[in-house]
Amino acid sequence: MTPQTPTETSPVALPEEVQRFNLTFRIQHAVMAGSFLVLFFTGWALKFHEVQGSAAWIDLWGGPRVAGLVHRAAGITMLLDSLFHVGYLAYRAVRGKLRWDIIPDWQDCKDAYNNVRYFLGLAADKPRFRRFNYLQKFDYWAVFWGIFVIGASGLALTFPTKAAVIFPAWSANWIWELVSVMHSDEALLAIVFILFWHFYNEHLRPDVFPMSWIWITGRMSVEELRERHPKEFERLFPGHSAVSEAAPPSEAGATIDDPPDNPVSTSA
Amino acid sequence: MRTSKRVVWLAALLPLGIAWLTPTAHADNLSCLICHNALEGTFTAQDGKPAHLHVDGEKYAASVHGDMECTTCHLKFVDNPHGTPDEEVDESIVKLSIAVARKSPRDPIALAACVQCHDEIYEEVRESVHGANIFQKGENDGPLCLDCHGSPHEITPAEAAGSTSPVAYRHVVATCGRCHEQKSISLKYGFSTDIISRYDESFHGKKYLLGGTQSPVCTTCHGTHLVRSQHDPQALVHGANRLKLCGQCHPGANEKFVAAITHKPVGKDNPIPYYAEKTLIILTFMVISACALHVLLDIYALIRTTLLVRKYRGKP
Repeated sequence: MTPQTPTETSPVALPEEVQRFNLTFRIQHAVMAGSFLVLFFTGWALKFHEVQGSAAWIDLWGGPRVAGLVHRAAGITMLLDSLFHVGYLAYRAVRGKLRWDIIPDWQDCKDAYNNVRYFLGLAADKPRFRRFNYLQKFDYWAVFWGIFVIGASGLALTFPTKAAVIFPAWSANWIWELVSVMHSDEALLAIVFILFWHFYNEHLRPDVFPMSWIWITGRMSVEELRERHPKEFERLFPGHSAVSEAAPPSEAGATIDDPPDNPVSTSA
Repeated sequence: MRTSKRVVWLAALLPLGIAWLTPTAHADNLSCLICHNALEGTFTAQDGKPAHLHVDGEKYAASVHGDMECTTCHLKFVDNPHGTPDEEVDESIVKLSIAVARKSPRDPIALAACVQCHDEIYEEVRESVHGANIFQKGENDGPLCLDCHGSPHEITPAEAAGSTSPVAYRHVVATCGRCHEQKSISLKYGFSTDIISRYDESFHGKKYLLGGTQSPVCTTCHGTHLVRSQHDPQALVHGANRLKLCGQCHPGANEKFVAAITHKPVGKDNPIPYYAEKTLIILTFMVISACALHVLLDIYALIRTTLLVRKYRGKP
């Protein structure tokens, strides 16, 4: 999400930072992260129940019964969080505040290709990313897909007698195996993906270590925006060069709370 | 040689044995236990076969049968240096002992003697798929009392917390597995050796292995003494009986629900979950590989730019 809409003649003075995530989004993310960790901690020992130490670990959570209840409570929290997220996006869409730029497009493929070329030293510069780069979009949609697969199977496993009413009779001989395979293997994928991808990109990379604070503050410095999302920078601050200037940014200007995703006045 | 050694041992242990056993064991058993408590190891009986004569007096005293006399079960001494008890053994026990002789070649009378108190349970075992194999088919396989409950002198209550009984909740799955994971028995009777491992992988088994106290074990669904073949229409797990069985813990269980537990391995005969699992594994492998590669490339580029930029542009 974005900051300041320049209403006067450009170029305007650059603010120090821009808002990327409003409070509502930050709370959604925190709830998601918290419930994810609880699900991970309680579910891991269930998947690897035969490993030495799994029973002791489950004991720390109050035994398999309590751990199971905690797991289910966290799962339902995550599902409600996801439902809220979709509802909130719909609400913003209705109010004309939603930009649909989280949806992947052909440009993302080109960006990925050019980024790899840059990694390999075949291109001099990184691709000029927009508000969300292809890594961030992948991260977002991976969670979306994961919630759908793991959430649906998890609900069936939480309420098996209810699910059995819905399942068609011809599926009875394979549906339970399928549901448990979906839940546990897809969860493993999600966990390893988060540990690998998300932790590297948002925690371990030298430029963010020990973590990117954006999930708490919701803000990103203009310099960082210029560096990592130059297209978005240019969209927000027309007239300013996306190539970093030597001079530090002016301290004038402030971020706007909960700005519209789509500041229509930029090109007016 | 052997006898003299034995005597020396016994002489040394005699006072110790008396002091040790006096407060616990049944008074009449003392005269037996003084020797049998000390008789460690295996002895060669008169028929040339090995005999285990050791009885741990302390464990016996602590067992559920600890206040019973030795001769309650050892009604007749088959092969020994002792004078056998005077009373005639009841004819029904002698008959039973002949039927169960293959399960206890050393002292079938003692094995049959369980029926004196546990006649209903003996009847159930006789009717069960295990008992039928012994009594009707005359096979050696299939458990009788001691195969599941362990040494007759050390039977402890299975319900007590922390019970070491082989049929206690914590140990019963392993006890069933002693036969049901054995390849020779599985091949002979046509059941799967995967049963126990599939149970371990099931919803119930996972919870049990993680320390669950309420998840069902083998005996919960298949019964204990009166365990029946799954093909027996009277079996708790047969056909529509399952609705009632599963419904005890899962109210509202219907046909589609009870189909969940099969103990069958996921193989190609059940292609949808089989290939779904394969697909998910491949997907996981591909995603993680792609991520790992991307991360490594990123690190490579970071190191390269950091080094080069510092060197050539003087930027931090």
